[in-house]
Amino acid sequence: MLKPSTLAMILAGSRVDKLNVLTYYRPKSAIPFGGFARVIDFPLSNLLHSGIEQVAILSQYRSYSLINHIGTGAAWDMIGRNRGVSILPPFKDNSDSKDHADWYRGSADAVYKNLDFVKYHDPEEILILSGDHIYKMDYRDMIAYHHKKDADLTIAFVQVDKARAHRFGVAVIDYEDGETGGRITDYREKPEQPETDWASLTVLVFKPEVLYQALEENQQSASFEFGRDIIPELMAAGKKIYGYKYRGYWGYTGTVSEYWQANMDLLGENPSIDMEAWGLRTNMEHRGIRDAQPALVFDGAEIENSLVYNGCVIEGRVKNSILFPGVEVGPGAVVENSVLFFNNRVGADCRLDKVITDVNCVFGKDVCVGSGTGSEAGQVTVVGWNNHIPDSTVIGEGATVYPNITVEQWSEAKGVGVGEVLK
Amino acid sequence: MILKKEALVLLLAGGVGSRLNILVQSRAKPAVPFAGHYRIIDFSLSNVMNSGLTKVGVLTQYKPLSLMRHLGMGEAWDFTGRSRGVKILPPHTGFKDSDWYRGTADAVRQNIDFLEKNPSDEVVLLSGDHIYNMDFHAMLEYHRFKKADVTVGMMVVPMSEIYQFGAGIIDEQNRIIDWEEKPEHPRTNLASMGIYVFDYKYLLDSLYRDREEVDFGMHILPRAIDNDDVFAYPFYGYWRDVGTIQSYWEANMDVIRRDSDISPAEWGIRTNIEADGRSADRPSARFGSEARVSNSMISAGCIIKGTVENSVLAPGVVVAEGAVVRDSILFADCHVEKNSVVDLTICDKRVRIAGDAVVGSGSNHDIPNIKEPKHLYTGISLIGKEAVIPSGLSIGRNCIVNSQTEEAAFSSKEIGDGETV
Repeated sequence: MLKPSTLAMILAGSRVDKLNVLTYYRPKSAIPFGGFARVIDFPLSNLLHSGIEQVAILSQYRSYSLINHIGTGAAWDMIGRNRGVSILPPFKDNSDSKDHADWYRGSADAVYKNLDFVKYHDPEEILILSGDHIYKMDYRDMIAYHHKKDADLTIAFVQVDKARAHRFGVAVIDYEDGETGGRITDYREKPEQPETDWASLTVLVFKPEVLYQALEENQQSASFEFGRDIIPELMAAGKKIYGYKYRGYWGYTGTVSEYWQANMDLLGENPSIDMEAWGLRTNMEHRGIRDAQPALVFDGAEIENSLVYNGCVIEGRVKNSILFPGVEVGPGAVVENSVLFFNNRVGADCRLDKVITDVNCVFGKDVCVGSGTGSEAGQVTVVGWNNHIPDSTVIGEGATVYPNITVEQWSEAKGVGVGEVLK
Repeated sequence: MILKKEALVLLLAGGVGSRLNILVQSRAKPAVPFAGHYRIIDFSLSNVMNSGLTKVGVLTQYKPLSLMRHLGMGEAWDFTGRSRGVKILPPHTGFKDSDWYRGTADAVRQNIDFLEKNPSDEVVLLSGDHIYNMDFHAMLEYHRFKKADVTVGMMVVPMSEIYQFGAGIIDEQNRIIDWEEKPEHPRTNLASMGIYVFDYKYLLDSLYRDREEVDFGMHILPRAIDNDDVFAYPFYGYWRDVGTIQSYWEANMDVIRRDSDISPAEWGIRTNIEADGRSADRPSARFGSEARVSNSMISAGCIIKGTVENSVLAPGVVVAEGAVVRDSILFADCHVEKNSVVDLTICDKRVRIAGDAVVGSGSNHDIPNIKEPKHLYTGISLIGKEAVIPSGLSIGRNCIVNSQTEEAAFSSKEIGDGETV
């Protein structure tokens, strides 16, 4: 069979307010992750290794970074006669219909507006994914289960801490197929009192006709989300909906502290996220990471339990941290429990503790950011991109620094207090 | 838009480089890995790219597969596009020109149809064997300003080393008035770097003139100096012919010196990192909680749990707990297992050193290799591609372990200084 049968659609448009300054200039799916890659590389690599060769990416918020990152799709082998990755941004058309004059009003509306694209591919099943989760999954197993059950819709679920379950779609799955999955008997989106600890990964396999009809009907409503609207509507209509039980690692990065925690899951003796074993690929052209020379580690450097990519120059101390390409750590500086994006420069005798810094920040000499206690408890401090932090500045634990703070703002502020925001 | 006729580049990449011993057992010298993830030819190719030249022919001969895989379509050096391109020019048989290239000029002569199909004003002729950073655009400007037939890139080297090079005597206008190829009793310390700019027509005429003139340094240049306008283009900066194990090791060590004159990053050196066809990209280098690393270059995909000092590690090298790597160069995917020591050693790709072994032991640095005393005499030991060093083994100085040597090949627990396995 030459024609790909599965069409995958990645929902990559959203911003997520809780990630704050990290999503000022990029959608959540394009946030750097893993020391050299981006969050969306995880679903894209999963698709590659699942042999799914037709992929569409629904993109709306500040899509430049994402478009640049996807490039031709060659990084994930998605170029060829029957292979391709298409980016689907919002668009205007000739109709006077209000539906089309607008931005994507939600994830379901985004797919609805591109139904002609979907139908043109005439898929046997449609795989809808979120672009901002970190996990390793072979979608073929789930698709096979979907066909075996002749389901209208199959949804992947993972067990989470019950205290966190209220933030996700939560299902009651019967034991029809034991550990593999079963029929969903109840589904609630973000319930206040979750009945189970099975949370939706936002990995959905649809029978095409079921999806088309559900999206048409959903247009009459005022809300256009898969989790909040489409799944409950299909449940109410008595469709055959199955839950597929996923048991691996799932990194959900909806808040700054979750994002920080997912980064820490890359570290340790046996890290939960093993990018090599997972076969993670990224676009090496993006930010020129393929051209970075191997890292230089000089005398006086100490690196402990950390990830360091090509292009780094280390003269200070780095512990429990992740350094993206082009990060420089000066002599006497200490970087602990931190995530430093591309091309940060940390000056001599700086101290960074539990900090996430976006790209292109320069820390002058003797700058102190975070609690300075070296403990992993406490709040994450976040610094937005393109900041030049003057010598000897103190930025307190849990503080937020907006991108592009001017020299005048820095000299006026003198520092940033614990939990304060500089913007 | 009228496209400017830019200079054509011919890169001579056929060199055997036999003094590099087992490092050139399965690849040509330009394809030998250097400074982590680079290969020697990346320096010439990147200089070409950074000089704005985009038409390149690469003349190969000796074991070209590794080189051809590395070059690919030339995307890594931006050589793809309508009027751009890198062409591999292997030896080929014809009606008269059968057989292998007999010398540098012979190699170019056998590809004269490539030259004729790509007319330009000048031809830049380079070797793919050297580590340097040079702007050929400036050299071309100089060539045009001097209205030269041939311009030769030259630099001052120590008098003791001139015997390896072509040497030129110049007048105050930098015109070369006399030439000695590899002189035993040199009269100058000005050495040819093997970098030439030829007037296009002049080069064709020279090649057509006499088929027995097979080498640029030996034949074409001396004749040009006697009859025509040949100028020296002075070069000041870092330039190394890494043709011996010792010079190759020193140039790698130069990269990790803090006050180093050589910086692939600052020079804008590009490489093709995808040549090895892996299913995943190399992730970040991982440093364990007991890692001790100083004064070293560490590439992506390395896992460091032991100690690394004054060493250059290519992608995917694993240094286990308690292991020590010192003053060494490890190619891609070498594994140094628990409590092993690797000292003053070059390991080719995928070497596995099982636990509690010592490679480079003792202090007899001056006992040369018995079989190859001219290759190994400074203490450096060589381990060939995919060799396996068994657990508990001790290997001395100036030793050679051939590629793909298996555990069973070691009959004793000790390999003495200067021995070859």
